[in-house]
Amino acid sequence: MKLDIYELIGENCITMEDGQKIYDLIHPELLAGHPVALNFAKVGVYASPFFNAAIGQLLKDIKSEDLNRLLKVFNLVPAGLAVLKRVIENSKQYYSDENFRKAQDEVLLEQAENK
Amino acid sequence: MKITLSIPTINDRPDDFDTLFNLWNQVNSDSLDVTFDFSPCRFLRHNAVAFLGGLARLIESRSGNATFNWNTLQNNILTNLGQNGFLAAFKHGGDPWTGNSIPYREDKVLDKNSMMDYLKVKWLGRGWVHVSELLQNAIAGRVWEIYTNAFEHAQSPIGIFSCGQHYPRRKELQLTVADFGVGIPSNVRLFFSKDNRVQSFSAANCIKWAFLPGTTTKPNGTSRGMGLDLLKEFVKINKGKLEIFSHEGYALIDETQEIFMNRQTFFEGTLVNISFRCDESYYHFASEVPEEPLF
Repeated sequence: MKLDIYELIGENCITMEDGQKIYDLIHPELLAGHPVALNFAKVGVYASPFFNAAIGQLLKDIKSEDLNRLLKVFNLVPAGLAVLKRVIENSKQYYSDENFRKAQDEVLLEQAENK
Repeated sequence: MKITLSIPTINDRPDDFDTLFNLWNQVNSDSLDVTFDFSPCRFLRHNAVAFLGGLARLIESRSGNATFNWNTLQNNILTNLGQNGFLAAFKHGGDPWTGNSIPYREDKVLDKNSMMDYLKVKWLGRGWVHVSELLQNAIAGRVWEIYTNAFEHAQSPIGIFSCGQHYPRRKELQLTVADFGVGIPSNVRLFFSKDNRVQSFSAANCIKWAFLPGTTTKPNGTSRGMGLDLLKEFVKINKGKLEIFSHEGYALIDETQEIFMNRQTFFEGTLVNISFRCDESYYHFASEVPEEPLF
């Protein structure tokens, strides 16, 4: 499957709703082991809600090695790539590492500084 | 009840935010006739403009009257409020005009196209910020994270209020986004409501938790995070500053420090104050082609 993101979403890939549209298209393909190519040519603005929904949640039931093999992105500008990498990093921790999350939650019990 | 709020000079130091939050604390649900008197005011920075606009709308949302005593304003402040659109928003004076202000804005719903038009055309595309389209887009994306966080989490029935300023010599943009919703600590405590230690979660630690990568207060959904870690990275790279006030919690993040603390003054909503440099030299865009596996 090849998707032209600009054709489907437009130049701003920033909302969760738009990300969900892409997820709904690619998730069944990837689950079935089919390759997916996402072309981001002409997309200008990127934000985390879009990538969290479109790509981050793929890690819920598809292994990283399978996604590396099956999912390819093209024409993603550096600012977009930076957001995507951060989203993937966060999702991997969120879905796979319960101890990491527990460690994060310990922050809530630290002695607060008071001014 | 009828009250008069005396608005002093308000800058953007931490105690100026205390001044704003004390004004909010003076207005309660019985304050149905509120007058804003600017007699002691010699300067009003954009953070105050955004906040006072929201406070007036909060009063109106309770079927009260908010009256600005415009004749108590110094001429230079009045001119600035005309330029940034605050006067027009409150039916006093004509349309705003182009200057160094980033227009005062009220959003009850978050409309992607309207907001991107504002950010990319009226804000970054006005020729006053000499940056490439690539950088304009990067900045628009990060600023969107602030607005989308506010809309997703604040539950502010009166919407989101923002205003900013451009400082040409410093090549710096400053923006304040305020909501009058439930606040970050409230969301975090609600998320952990089954934890019997939840009452000991300080407001400061709740904000600190919200900044950690991958945290989200949305139950059993995707890992959404709050985008705050992206904003943190953004201000660190471009030598900017990010401040968040919510309840008595306060976060200050800049190139060299990350401070989370509790302050004396309580404000139930959330106020985000961000400044960043519009200078290409601070941004090092890496290769466009992902060289290593993404996942």
